[in-house]
Amino acid sequence: MLAALFAAVTSVQPAATQSVAAAGGVAIPGKRPMILHNDRPEDLESPGTYFDTWVTPVDSFFVRQHLPRPARIDPAAYKLKLNGMVSNPKEVSLAELQALPQFTVPATLECTGNGRGFYLPKVPGIQWKRGAVGNAEWQGPRLSDVLKLAGPNDAAEFVEIDGADTPVGQTPDFVRSMPMKKAMHPATILALKMNGEMPQMHGFPARLVVPGWDGTSWVKWVTRLTPQAKESGGFFMNPGYRIPGIPLPPGTPARPAELEVIEGMPVKSSIMLPEDGSKFAMGAIPVGGIAWAGEEAIERVEVSFDGGARWQAAALSPQKLHFAWRLWHVDWKPEGPGYHTILSRATDTAGRVQPFVPAWNPSGYLWNGIDRIGVTVEAKA
Amino acid sequence: MRMKLALFAVFALSAAIAADQETLDRGKKVEQTTCLPCHSLRLIESQRLPRATWDKEITKMAGWGWTAKPEDRAALLEFLAANYGDDKPAAPPEKSADGRK
Repeated sequence: MLAALFAAVTSVQPAATQSVAAAGGVAIPGKRPMILHNDRPEDLESPGTYFDTWVTPVDSFFVRQHLPRPARIDPAAYKLKLNGMVSNPKEVSLAELQALPQFTVPATLECTGNGRGFYLPKVPGIQWKRGAVGNAEWQGPRLSDVLKLAGPNDAAEFVEIDGADTPVGQTPDFVRSMPMKKAMHPATILALKMNGEMPQMHGFPARLVVPGWDGTSWVKWVTRLTPQAKESGGFFMNPGYRIPGIPLPPGTPARPAELEVIEGMPVKSSIMLPEDGSKFAMGAIPVGGIAWAGEEAIERVEVSFDGGARWQAAALSPQKLHFAWRLWHVDWKPEGPGYHTILSRATDTAGRVQPFVPAWNPSGYLWNGIDRIGVTVEAKA
Repeated sequence: MRMKLALFAVFALSAAIAADQETLDRGKKVEQTTCLPCHSLRLIESQRLPRATWDKEITKMAGWGWTAKPEDRAALLEFLAANYGDDKPAAPPEKSADGRK
């Protein structure tokens, strides 16, 4: 029944949608047509019509890259370096990673800046709207099992992670770190597979999967893991990917001493269909989207068709998992012709509720405002 | 006095809304030659930012190795503010072609 409902979301096309221009014939190998924010390196957003399956196929999955993508790594020559505060520094081959127990973790990956384009005043960075998010089945060894190969010291509170991508010009290298507690969590894995494959653009041969945390922690092309006593301090840890610990008036500059590292993700839902600005003839209109909640699971999604005065529960896809999104759907019958505002609001298993106004921040991270679109319904002739 | 003020206002307004064409052309050339080594121009041109934010972005890029003569830097800022200011309509989304085999 639910499957049929969700299938219906994709089978009905709105009468008219906003046009999206073709980007001069640029094609991204292995990808369906994607909203193009940057050709080089590729920064690609998934259009709303692609969000009709619980598992996002690789060919529809968004891409965010800070630095030029590294040349394809030869799997036979690949080495993962384990060094720092370990008793037995070593280099591990792909075969050794494959020989460890393999685990599958369904998890939603969202770019930290997804929704940046909704913040006002405008902030610099890729102007993502709704589509820098996807849900995949990730498979690989637990990061804890990988680290144990080298014997991490108990005094190591953090692990630094580097990938094979290298700086261009004098840009900083993309190096991240995370608390050892999250690194040792049983759901944190070094993924060797994404939906059964591992495309180069998504981190071949090994990428971190940090369930419930924002995308910047999910380092691709991982080549080094370094347990450390303190958090790593490169640009992409500070000031990059930090938010004000004390909320700022919108439009004011960051106060460096008050910036904090982002850990985890807020509760959020997005309306993927219909497209904002669509026009319909009177009749039933399927409304649907996705909802996710970082380390929590989605408890409910509510939708309003009257500007937020009344809310009705949406039908949810059955998998109620921590770390992974749920699809939601409402079959809407407009009361009359004209312009209608549609809102969606998610609540998670910890009781967190999607807010009307997310906290503005100078880098435009973690947008999770109640989603809002508008459609026009035309009376039958 | 009133006339002088009005004339001044007209002058100030026209200076504010229109950097001269030569400067804008120069700024465009700077963009097309000095930004491209690291990323595509779409990364810039898909954004709409206040002038002060564009200024900060140029400073950020200078910190990462971008260099230009001061007059080229000034022309680039004029070009970005004139074409990609936050008073301009949002960039229409563009889609890539199908890249599946």
